[in-house]
Amino acid sequence: MKDLVHIFELEDLLQEANNKLVRQAKEDGKKALGYTCYFMPEVLLDLPGCFSVRLRAPRSGSPDMATYYMSNRTCMYGRCLLERALEGGFNFLDAQMATETCTVTCRFQEHLQLMDIIKNPDFFCEFTDVPFKKNENSIDHYEKQLQDHVLDKLSDRFGIDTSDEALLKAIEEHNEICRLITEIGRYRKLDEPTITGWEFSVIQLATLVCPKYLIIDMLKDIAEQLKTRKPDAKKTYRCKVVLTGSEEDDPSFIKLIEECGALVVADRHCYGSLPGREEIIVKEGERPLRAIARHYIETSECPRFMDQHIMRERKQYLADVAKEYKADGIIISQMKFCEYWSYERTIDTLILPRDFGYPVCSIEKEYVNNAVGQLRTRFQAFVESIELKNIQKEA
Amino acid sequence: MGITLKDIKAKYRELFVVEKSPEEKNKPFDPKKAAHDFWYGKEHEERRLGDLYVGNTGLYKHREWRGVKDTMYYFNMIWLYNYAHMVSDIMKYGDGPKAIVDFTKGTLRYRWMGQTYLTVMHWFDRGLEGTRGEAMKASAWHYRAMVSETIRQFMRMFEADKKIHGGEAPEKWNKTIAHNETLSGNIFYGWRDQLDDVALEMIPYFVSVHVNNHTVLNYIDAAQSIGLPSDPCPMCQAEYGLFVQDDYPDYSPVMLTSNEACDGSVATSVLQDWFLNRPLYAMPQPMRYDDPLVQEHCQKEIEGAWKFVEEQFGIKMDWDQYVKHAQSFNKLTEFEWEKWDVAANTPYYPINGVAQALYRIYYSQDGDRPIWHETDARVKAIMEKTVKNKIECFPKTRHRAIAWSCAPLYYSNWCTWAYNCWGINCVINMDSLMFDQYLRTDTYEHALEDLSWFNEKAPMRAMAVGGHEHILSLFDYMERFNCDMVIMYDQLQCKGMQGIHGVFEDEFRKRDIHAIWIPHALPDKRTVSRAEIRDIINDYMTTVMREEPLDPSLLDFDDAMSW
Repeated sequence: MKDLVHIFELEDLLQEANNKLVRQAKEDGKKALGYTCYFMPEVLLDLPGCFSVRLRAPRSGSPDMATYYMSNRTCMYGRCLLERALEGGFNFLDAQMATETCTVTCRFQEHLQLMDIIKNPDFFCEFTDVPFKKNENSIDHYEKQLQDHVLDKLSDRFGIDTSDEALLKAIEEHNEICRLITEIGRYRKLDEPTITGWEFSVIQLATLVCPKYLIIDMLKDIAEQLKTRKPDAKKTYRCKVVLTGSEEDDPSFIKLIEECGALVVADRHCYGSLPGREEIIVKEGERPLRAIARHYIETSECPRFMDQHIMRERKQYLADVAKEYKADGIIISQMKFCEYWSYERTIDTLILPRDFGYPVCSIEKEYVNNAVGQLRTRFQAFVESIELKNIQKEA
Repeated sequence: MGITLKDIKAKYRELFVVEKSPEEKNKPFDPKKAAHDFWYGKEHEERRLGDLYVGNTGLYKHREWRGVKDTMYYFNMIWLYNYAHMVSDIMKYGDGPKAIVDFTKGTLRYRWMGQTYLTVMHWFDRGLEGTRGEAMKASAWHYRAMVSETIRQFMRMFEADKKIHGGEAPEKWNKTIAHNETLSGNIFYGWRDQLDDVALEMIPYFVSVHVNNHTVLNYIDAAQSIGLPSDPCPMCQAEYGLFVQDDYPDYSPVMLTSNEACDGSVATSVLQDWFLNRPLYAMPQPMRYDDPLVQEHCQKEIEGAWKFVEEQFGIKMDWDQYVKHAQSFNKLTEFEWEKWDVAANTPYYPINGVAQALYRIYYSQDGDRPIWHETDARVKAIMEKTVKNKIECFPKTRHRAIAWSCAPLYYSNWCTWAYNCWGINCVINMDSLMFDQYLRTDTYEHALEDLSWFNEKAPMRAMAVGGHEHILSLFDYMERFNCDMVIMYDQLQCKGMQGIHGVFEDEFRKRDIHAIWIPHALPDKRTVSRAEIRDIINDYMTTVMREEPLDPSLLDFDDAMSW
């Protein structure tokens, strides 16, 4: 296929957290607000006067200093973030809007509070408590938390306008990004998709780590080009897969899967768009903050939700995504030492083939992807097994 | 080759004869000293407790001679008394003579039961080794209470268990609430007159691993056999393994779970739902529990749990029952505070480190039960005596230690060894300090408010979540309990503790504190053995502290095969 417009520029922006557009937004006088988890609504951090940066540690090597602080038995994502912070890579942040949603990222953020790492005299790190269930009590609670720990703090510390009008405007802008990403992502549902998983992951990630007002035009260009983009004459993949699992912010990992012949058509993981890029709907008479709280609780498919029916619906959701995107199989990828996903992966690996008939490739990986050879072998074998199944079906 | 008399003699010596050291052999016989040793027991430095062990096993060649009075007390009031009660309690808590049938079926059906019941007295021996006088008595009463409550719980499970009743639901199946062991029993006080609540994993996993550390390995392996990685908390793995192996009693129509204390605990709920496939209510606690804004949310979740029980069992919560048990539990808390006061400010505290740790976590998690009050009354009398008469219960104390983070369950009695060998007296431990909360009952609102706070400050969670200031409160407690040493448990698979490891290292250096890191894998002795734990302490005491052991025979012995 012809190269997607802006794709290499977007790829470049993913090479460091403090990228060109982040610097530009800072020069525009905006406050940079870091976060790590979907449960910190980016829409609130994108209020006028500030912008959200979902933290990554691209091009990480061995996180030696962070390993001293957090040992080598914790999730490498958390450690690489701490290493990057200790190296000064997050000094551009004006605040870290933290959540205690998984243990190791929580500890990383506590280090920011405790150790005076970020060399910015105005920097602060504020925690929000996030509920474990999807009910009205949780939404009430979450709304209060967001008001107190996000909006009030932004207003007090940076003078950000957090009025309902400002929130509605932020929702509108956020929804525009979501519409564009959804439109771009829809081409993955085609019988012969006109966008690759790698391309989509670059675009999706860029929306998470760059000031949105500076990339929206690029997204529009991409959406426009995709209307007429034609698939390759000869298929370049052997099967289609859904990638699900824990934190995943490395497009080269998607590329690795695709090099093995499996086109990644859906991304249901921490940095993915499913869920993540659904529009926020403000119901009639509803406060915008209430709508935001409800939206993030209702749309999240995080394995930390404990309600009985939600635990079960998560499996159904994944199967539905696989069906909708015409996937042949599912790759479940878990960051090593991620407790939530080690259990979720185990149970998904048992249930999805048995109850929904989807073949599953279940892997554990590190944040810094050194075991490429082993993973390549796993993915190649998975692709072959799907092909064999298809041949058997046809026979 | 037949067995010769020589072989028999050699075996006899190996199993029953304590060899004297060459120096002792050459000492002239001193009848006065021998009489003194016989009557009072040997002095601490002369005991050589390590010589009593049969190689590899940790079993004794013969029982420890503690002097006439203490040996008689131990034999009659600990050994015989507890063995007798291990039989009579089955009848007491079970359904009359039928109890013996249920007990036998349960013992044959469940691996954790069959492998642990007869090893109970060795658990006493390990924990109480070397103790004398009031320390021995008070600590033993704690052990006795835990055994009694354990029997009560497993008898309730067996009586209500479908699995040992041919798949049919016994009458009590519909009158028993099953819940996570990390969900405190105090939630269910309102039904204590009509229903009973039993934590599902408390006996099969938590208690059994203390009594016989081999039992749990099978469950951990089972969990990993279906794809779970080996790095998540092994406690959750073991709990999971019970389900994989179908080795849990089916004694309730419902299940209540909790997010206490960590991500692994949340994730275990998913698996329990999968295996149990019955109405399940998750009762999560907020993580940032110091935040006043989270309290209402937590209270509503507790009310949600109450509503769930009411709907499932068709029985309204009885407020008067709640008040009665909460007030009764407050008496236990009051006495706990008294104990802390004596432990912190005097050398007269009569409870050793392991009894303190296990009893506290057991009763506070379990909630109000008669046995805890009976025990506290006995221990109170002992403690009043030690304080009044200024009896130093651990007279060879060289270091007052505080143990922080979660302990190795397969070696919770390390502190008994550390006192006997090095004079390290573990005065208090982190999990003893949880649930530090009085339960008001004057109004419904106050009761609910305190109950939510209480549950937010559950084991591990009180210190390990909600902000680094909680885990770093170690230094305040160290001061409060007048400790000069920290035993820092290094649970290798606890992400929360691993995630703050370096900060502790920095603080220890900055504050010039002697801290011994004890790596372990909670219930899994294969990762770091008991002998390795002892080696680490030995190395620190010799190379850093430059001290000589009180009892050198305890420095190095192999108890790998011990229960």
